[in-house]
Amino acid sequence: MENNQLKIKDYSLRFGTLILTFLFITLIIFLAGASPKEVFVALWQGISSADQFARVLSTLAPLLLCACGLVFTFMAGLYNLGIEGQIIMGAIATTFALRIFQDIIPSYLAILLGIIFGIAGGALWGLFAGVLNVYGKVNEIFAGLGLNFVAQGLTLYLVFGPWKRPGVASMSGTEQFKETVWLPTIGNTEASPIALILAVLGLVVTAIVIRGTYFGLQLRAVGQNLRASYVLGIPAYSRILGAFAICGALGGIAGSLQVLAVFHRLIPNISSNLGFLALLIGMLVGNGILWILPVAFFFSALNVGSLQLPLSLQLESSLAGVIQGSLVLFVLLARAFNNIK
Amino acid sequence: MKLNNFKYFGWVAVLGLILTACNNPAPTNTQSGTQNTQTATPASSQPTDKFTVGLVLVGPKNDAGWSQAHYEAMQYVIKKQPNVALEYVDKVNPSDRPNVKGSQVADDLIAKGAKLVIFNSDDLKDDAFETAKKHPNIPVIHATGDYSWKEGKNFKNQQNLVNIMPQMEYGRMITGCAAALSTQTGKIGFLAPLINDETRRLVSAAYLGSKYCWENYRKKDIKDLNFKVTWIGFWFNIPGVTLDPTKVADDFYNSGYDVVMTGIDTPEAAVQGKKAAEAGKQVKFLHYTLKTGCDLAPDICLGVPIYNWGPLYLDTIRKAESGQIKPEFILGKPDWSNINNPDTSAVGFVFGKALTEENKKTLEQFIKSLGDGSINLYQGLLKFQDGTDFLKAGEKATPQQIWYMPQLIQGIEGKSK
Amino acid sequence: MKIELRNITKRFGNVLANDDVSVTVEAGTIHGILGENGAGKSTLVKIISGFIGRDRGTIILDEKPGEIKTPAAAIRAGIGMLHQDPLDFPTLSVLDNFMIGREGGKDKTSSIVLPKKLATKELKYLASDFNFSLDVNEILGNLTVGERQQLEILRLLSLGVNTLIFDEPTTGISASQKDALFAAMRKLADSGKSLIFVSHKLEDVAVLCDRVTVMRQGKVVGEAEIPCPENRLVEMMFGRELASPNKPKTATAEVALQLHNIILKTDRLTIEIEKLTIQSGEVIGLAGLEGSGQRLLLLMCAGLLPATSGNLIINGQDMTNQTYQNYLKAGVGFLPADRLKEGLVNGLTIQDHVALRQSIGRRSFVNWKETLTVTKDKISLFNIRGKADSKVERLSGGNQQRTQLALLPIPLNLLLMEHPTRGLDIESAIWVWQQLIARCQTGTTILFTSSDLDEIVQYSDRILVFSGGNVSAPIDTKELTVNKLGQMIGGKFEDGGLGTGD
Repeated sequence: MENNQLKIKDYSLRFGTLILTFLFITLIIFLAGASPKEVFVALWQGISSADQFARVLSTLAPLLLCACGLVFTFMAGLYNLGIEGQIIMGAIATTFALRIFQDIIPSYLAILLGIIFGIAGGALWGLFAGVLNVYGKVNEIFAGLGLNFVAQGLTLYLVFGPWKRPGVASMSGTEQFKETVWLPTIGNTEASPIALILAVLGLVVTAIVIRGTYFGLQLRAVGQNLRASYVLGIPAYSRILGAFAICGALGGIAGSLQVLAVFHRLIPNISSNLGFLALLIGMLVGNGILWILPVAFFFSALNVGSLQLPLSLQLESSLAGVIQGSLVLFVLLARAFNNIK
Repeated sequence: MKLNNFKYFGWVAVLGLILTACNNPAPTNTQSGTQNTQTATPASSQPTDKFTVGLVLVGPKNDAGWSQAHYEAMQYVIKKQPNVALEYVDKVNPSDRPNVKGSQVADDLIAKGAKLVIFNSDDLKDDAFETAKKHPNIPVIHATGDYSWKEGKNFKNQQNLVNIMPQMEYGRMITGCAAALSTQTGKIGFLAPLINDETRRLVSAAYLGSKYCWENYRKKDIKDLNFKVTWIGFWFNIPGVTLDPTKVADDFYNSGYDVVMTGIDTPEAAVQGKKAAEAGKQVKFLHYTLKTGCDLAPDICLGVPIYNWGPLYLDTIRKAESGQIKPEFILGKPDWSNINNPDTSAVGFVFGKALTEENKKTLEQFIKSLGDGSINLYQGLLKFQDGTDFLKAGEKATPQQIWYMPQLIQGIEGKSK
Repeated sequence: MKIELRNITKRFGNVLANDDVSVTVEAGTIHGILGENGAGKSTLVKIISGFIGRDRGTIILDEKPGEIKTPAAAIRAGIGMLHQDPLDFPTLSVLDNFMIGREGGKDKTSSIVLPKKLATKELKYLASDFNFSLDVNEILGNLTVGERQQLEILRLLSLGVNTLIFDEPTTGISASQKDALFAAMRKLADSGKSLIFVSHKLEDVAVLCDRVTVMRQGKVVGEAEIPCPENRLVEMMFGRELASPNKPKTATAEVALQLHNIILKTDRLTIEIEKLTIQSGEVIGLAGLEGSGQRLLLLMCAGLLPATSGNLIINGQDMTNQTYQNYLKAGVGFLPADRLKEGLVNGLTIQDHVALRQSIGRRSFVNWKETLTVTKDKISLFNIRGKADSKVERLSGGNQQRTQLALLPIPLNLLLMEHPTRGLDIESAIWVWQQLIARCQTGTTILFTSSDLDEIVQYSDRILVFSGGNVSAPIDTKELTVNKLGQMIGGKFEDGGLGTGD
């Protein structure tokens, strides 16, 4: 009985939050001098063609992977803002591997190696943040942000320095890879089935590890109470490092996909802020791991659709970011409100 | 319970951080364009007559520079050819629009009915090529670039790809000449972006112009001319990555370089020059790209070399409309009878207020001689910085030699690579 | 200033922190408030200094009723407090800290511009008056706790207070700083100021105070003029009569725990134990004022705190410098006092905890079905009022303790407990000890601390008394008297204790 009532309360709270968010967004659009209806129509149009839908899927893959990675660090009670840097290091490592291997081994092997390097690069960078956090006693938020800057700087150095295009260093990145090492796509679109499979696999494995394994349980315990977990016999610090490394590894795959499936080269903004977007997703879903899929899809759609805003309404596409941000803000406020009550 | 609340405050704080991090500094706002799909179509024409052009701009359409020149060119096209409609997206670069590729923007423009797509940056060359491949029936114009140049180094046999580039080297020679005529100290500074074939070509051209006018009009020894280029590393300031152009400009003005020309997208040469002039220094500058370039500091502005893409676009779009597009590498030429004719000349030079009457006359003479062929600055003997021959005595440069300069010309102070 | 507190009452949830407390502090005296941790001393002085409000009672300052609702109001009324952890700003300079808390505009100088010169002069004058050496430009974070106290005293004086409250000021400062502090306090009292000195340290109260009020469990249990015999104070702190021991004999001839030449150093305490042997099945009570080193010994035996030197042998196995994991494998269990901080994980269910305990050494998948069965068995065995999916923070204190007991490793060779029945109702407390003694009969050795002397006397075979890091030789419970205990808690060991040095 009591449980049922709680559930009803919970659902009405969620529903109320959605309505409030919607009203707030509508208000913002009004303030921006546009018609909310037109904005929503434009956003919808922005994802409705086959090309655009494929783009939603190709953004979804790295987004899902990052969000899955963040589940591990969130569970361990950590705000891994370093996810951006981990994506970047994954992308750099993949680029490094492809530069060496694309001409000397079969393409599928080069792709495989690229992804493995990406995983390693991301995981190492994640581990680095973890070591700073655990042994250096640096707050993981600052460790992460600092390492993001380093990774970003390294990318710029590589793109403008040793890996620059012959004769032309440019913001457009390194020389494109041979088409044979691009991840194959569906038809003439940009959606790569391999990327999607990797992402969905990541989600399934994440859900299983968190819910069904001792490792997942220990992470939750460590996240809630480090000292008690340690006293209970859990190797708490190695679990924290593990969470960082796994998150980095998944971020690294996302970086690999950005290189292999999306840009086919290393560009300065290779992470495309997907890590930060994934953090928003993580905050939104809380403990509901499987909610990641619809929410990430929604965010990806919003992101891709937002290109229509300047195209058909002469609006800034960052309006999509405002929509995402307000959604998360309202959900957090609702939760805080619920807790205070 | 209490602890939990704190935790949520933590969440909110982190959210704030993220939103700040996501918030790209978009320096301009995109208001609705006056010339749009809806308004540009003449009342009489039927929808089937409409020829929509998709324009992918790397920067803001009102950047007072490169992208604005392209945007204005399309306004020119629409005026001349009223059945042309424009669909554009600006700020197509990874920092302003993360995770958006130029080719994707082109896909969307084509989905909205664009029958020809223009990319306006060297940074977008992969996207231009990809789009041309993906949509073989849509002509693609890539402003700058050399993929369609059969005699070029990077030729890609793509039937619907056209490259267009005005011969700015002439604009640069004129700029260099104006600087050499006006300098009192014999020190000319060039505030330059990053190093590539195009920028090496343009800096060298400016030097050739300066050298000629220094020796022939001012009758001075070339040894007394100090021509220095400082590369900041990109088209605009990226703190921590590039040199700070404000500081570079100041360094020029403070160390006796009384004429500074700029090749970057942002107006530091003008702004700092104005400050130096207000502080009593006799300094002048030369802007770049757009005919309004002098407006920031008109009193010390010697002039602006400008791009005029309009006639080139108009011509190519007309060809596309009649189905006559073919892979072409178009070098837009100046109209020597009147280099500032908006309908005919691809490169121009707007004279600034700070250019004296006498120097203006000399400069016009220089332009005339360039036009009638009595002066060819790309003629040997010319050496590279490392002392090797660029052109042997009497040898005239081929277009390839001009386009792909591996080094700066001897006499320029500054890095070649 | 004379301060009278009448019938002060303050309740935190179920806990009556101050129960009808009345104290009078005469002007020009140092008044001690003595009591065990949790006796309600800090609550009382925080009420006087405006940091917390009271539920009932009146404060009378120099025969006039005083309204003290905020710390600022207390300062205006002339009352300042030095907190146990100084409330200062470590990144600012000494001078900045000195000036903080002044109300702008009251000085004749500008209210916006900080009167730095004037303040520097004042600080230097005050410091020399008390023989404190403070560098005004030093960053506060570089100062010792003692120096920070000195600065705080000067700061409060410069604000014009005439009553100073010291909350456990001798914790964490050096002996010479303590002497300087006491000298300064004496000087202040002689100049007519009233001082309230909160402490659980008998020896400090004995040397410093003029008069002392003793508190226990939120109540005033007695007052005394100093000097006064120490064991009288101990009696007041702990109660007059000791309960009679009623534990069956469970000790065997086997040796469970041996300590050799142990030295355990922390910033505040040094514990030395030359030799200690404990039999299997024995229960050892650790008595003494809280914070005298009992917890350190427990943590060390649990493998949670490495000894500085010496050997620790459990069941014949040398455990010195072994990992905590190995202690767990050796059957060592630790039951912390703060259950939700150190023992149980907020937000996790009983079943989750059972699974966590199983997880050690395993890495694969959780068999939730099997875990559920185990959990249900434990719930009925340990009589926990809760379900497998109840989150631990929702359980009552007694049921949390039962859950902790249910989670102890099996076999359990050595059990280390802090306050095993704190916060439990009598029924639960008795049940807990039944379980524990049953364990002892199967060979488990127990070391436990408690601030309840009755509990220690009732359930221990032998007792170790701690006083400021000194550890007494084990005393058979049957030989213990209140008098002896009082002297030992006060630091007087007949036989010199377990330490090697004295």
